[in-house]
Amino acid sequence: MPRYLRIVLLLTPGLGLVVVMMSMVIYRAVAQSFGLYNFGGEDILSLAHWQEMFDNRRYWSALRWSGYIATTSALLSVALAYPLALWLRRPFFGSTILSAMIKAPYFVPGLVAAFLLINVISFHGFVNEFMIWIGLWDKPVRMQNDENGYAIIGLQVWKQLPLAFLLLLGSIQSIPDSVLHAAQDLGAGTLARFRRVVLPLTMKAMQAALVLIFIGAAGDFSFQAIAGPARKNSMATLMTQLQGSNYSDWNGAAVVGVTLMGLSLVGAVALAGFVQLMTKFTENVR
Amino acid sequence: MLRKLMLSILAGTTLTGSAMAADLTSMSWDGIVAQAKEEGEVTWFQWYFEDRFRNVVPAFEEQYGIKVNLPDLDGGDAGLNKVMAEAGRETGAVDVLSISGDKTKAISPSDFFIGPILSLLPEANAVTDKAQGGDWGGYAIKFWGNQTGMGYDSNRVNLEDLPQTVAELETWMAANPQQLGFNFENGGSGPSFINNVARNILGLTGDAEAPESLDLAPVFDWFVDHEDEYVLTTSNNDSYARINSGEFLMVPVWEDGIAGLIQSGEMGGHIKVYLPEWGMNGGGNVVAIPKNAPHPAAALVFISWLTSAETQTELNKTFGSAPSNSNSDDSFALISNAERANSTNWSGGALPADAVVPAVIENVFQR
Amino acid sequence: MKRRHISTILAIAVSFALFFWLAIPFAMAVMWSMVDPGHPWSYPDILPPKLSFERWRVVWETTSLPTAMLNSYTLAPVAGICTLLLAAPTAYAFGREEFRGKAIAQVVILIPLVLPGFVTAVFFASLLLSLGIFEKYPAVLLGHIVLYMPYAVRILSVSFSQVQDDVVNAARDLGASPFEVFRAAYFPVLKPGIFAAFLIVFVLSIEEFAIAFIVGVPDFTTIPTILFSYLGFEFVRTNAAVVALILVVPNVILMLVLERLLQSANPASVSGKG
Repeated sequence: MPRYLRIVLLLTPGLGLVVVMMSMVIYRAVAQSFGLYNFGGEDILSLAHWQEMFDNRRYWSALRWSGYIATTSALLSVALAYPLALWLRRPFFGSTILSAMIKAPYFVPGLVAAFLLINVISFHGFVNEFMIWIGLWDKPVRMQNDENGYAIIGLQVWKQLPLAFLLLLGSIQSIPDSVLHAAQDLGAGTLARFRRVVLPLTMKAMQAALVLIFIGAAGDFSFQAIAGPARKNSMATLMTQLQGSNYSDWNGAAVVGVTLMGLSLVGAVALAGFVQLMTKFTENVR
Repeated sequence: MLRKLMLSILAGTTLTGSAMAADLTSMSWDGIVAQAKEEGEVTWFQWYFEDRFRNVVPAFEEQYGIKVNLPDLDGGDAGLNKVMAEAGRETGAVDVLSISGDKTKAISPSDFFIGPILSLLPEANAVTDKAQGGDWGGYAIKFWGNQTGMGYDSNRVNLEDLPQTVAELETWMAANPQQLGFNFENGGSGPSFINNVARNILGLTGDAEAPESLDLAPVFDWFVDHEDEYVLTTSNNDSYARINSGEFLMVPVWEDGIAGLIQSGEMGGHIKVYLPEWGMNGGGNVVAIPKNAPHPAAALVFISWLTSAETQTELNKTFGSAPSNSNSDDSFALISNAERANSTNWSGGALPADAVVPAVIENVFQR
Repeated sequence: MKRRHISTILAIAVSFALFFWLAIPFAMAVMWSMVDPGHPWSYPDILPPKLSFERWRVVWETTSLPTAMLNSYTLAPVAGICTLLLAAPTAYAFGREEFRGKAIAQVVILIPLVLPGFVTAVFFASLLLSLGIFEKYPAVLLGHIVLYMPYAVRILSVSFSQVQDDVVNAARDLGASPFEVFRAAYFPVLKPGIFAAFLIVFVLSIEEFAIAFIVGVPDFTTIPTILFSYLGFEFVRTNAAVVALILVVPNVILMLVLERLLQSANPASVSGKG
């Protein structure tokens, strides 16, 4: 059997299946957004569905909202993961338990995480009762479904911090001690060492973490549906709503779906590029 | 869009169903019961209180020896959606479908359901095919009557102090900011509130004539002006959970929803319901048999049992729902009969809910 | 010495913080799941007036939780095995063959991970609708297989690459049949990877929500879809608490097992480098 044929046969059941299925799904989303595969109506290639969405306030509001949640969650998770990863880089008493506890939320399904949170922050939930008990607040604060999305961002960070932590930890651990020590001997302070040694050497891991968290948070449905503000839709909740029975607007849902894919791509490229630029810049700064 | 989807599916699909329908409508009741027992089971797509209905249906199972399957559904349209999407299948999965009474707008009964079935039922003269403004032409039977009202925490507020008119509501909201919560999606209690407040603001209550051109601006302004005084919740049940936990003094509710939660111990009995003079919508749900139902006779017998005077009295006792059989007893309701006069209609009158609620969502809540 | 001292204090402090980070939320869920139906937990009670397992019984007997568990737990192992079998040849090619375009192929296999889950689910459903496929179980199964293929391929290709060529050659030279070569040279090295790949697909399939929700509803319920209905449209905190615990506890245990396996098998694949 020729070698190339052998390779093709080997790749078919796994890679082949993924490629066929995913390209069908993506093609379908794009085609439906332009009026093809129109259930019931005629298939007319047109920009009408895009036009209709562009005129819809909820579309823009959802796009802004998902972009905001995803960017904030990605940056915040990475910012918190760095000190933790640096701290836990070498084992010490209790470090195993600590990293296990940091990683634990990653194992908790998103729906369960959202449920746990709304219990804790509800009007007479633990946080409110505790703050009133210690006297910091004199009446309960309404935190559920807050308009700024703090609950969703908190959930994203709770759930995604482990991913950033693991990626950064692996990368930081592979920096030889000698490199860090050499920098110290040259008189670099903690911040300078971080900027000039750690940051450039962990850039790839940071990019990966930012991109993965951004994409995950941009496509979020569960957190938005359960803990998000009633006034806002995420792209995923808007898409599901349009496709659902009250509207049965598959074409509109397709426009939102394609936009969401675009948002993921643009966000990922932008964040990765931002990190690259920032690293270059800080490296050159004295 | 919905209509287009249905029509396309319908073209060349429903032949097998009609054959079965003809069978059922020409049979004697005894013949139907015999065939039902042979079929042996029935699948009922019911979208609320599935868990508690599982405690009610054993009475039917014992009486007829027919097993009832009750899957858990998510939301009022999940079942209807499925029946429409799968109309092209020779044998479907649904025997009995519950539908909100006003859905005659979304679905043409004779295209999708077996019937007319009303005249086949033994208690045909005591039940109805009309619910929530929808006339089902004998293809669906009302099995559930429900009423929205205002739920309040009777531990902390007295009925006499609660508002009866929209003017009083404004004063009350100003005096008790953020003590009123309501939803605008995932359940109709909040939409009923929005609908009726809008009717009062526009002077379109009672028998008022529908205006030539509808200007909703005063309604948008009202909800924007009072934005700091109310809180939006995410569903009927979110409102219920939050008034139960002491976060609100007053929320729009379904009478049967509250009665059910109190009965099952998920809510304290201090949450009470009143029907203010500004009006709140009442409605009802119906059951029908899809044309491709796998067990049509069992489905019909089940519907007959569900709408019987005896079962309807039982439902009133268990759920606090308003009976839909004129021979049944409704003494277990939460709302007094005097207040029921304030009940309004979802789709009737000069301002149907559909004409105002989506517009308020887009122009106020999600602007 | 002083540095270590600070470290210990810090460790204790952060442990406390993390205790609240994890323990309080779970404690609340456990309490809500144990509220006695005869004694509702409403304001102003700080704690439930009476605790019992009655709610667990009620949920088990009156909701479709047993069906959902049956669905989830019959779907997940089948998804695990199918994914494993379909992933193995590709993983072999990635781990043991050199060919043009391999780097691209290794990126392309990751597409299911980066495409937003609900986009995949909605347009997969649209595909099924026009193909006239109404059977839910195979549809959700296929969705899970494709969605989790990248994990299985990735873990297995690292395992395949660790198989030593000289052991394979030695076995061949001794006249072993292909099956015996697999058993002697491949299997011992692959074993932890096979378990890990199976387990990760199993756990992720149990947790999967988007496809189960969009494609499976309303008649194919899994544990996450039931949980979502108790969190959303039919919000009942006590029932949600029971279902959430039933979903999360076995999965956390399995994930801990998985982490052990991955560490012993190939540490690189945990952190996503490989």
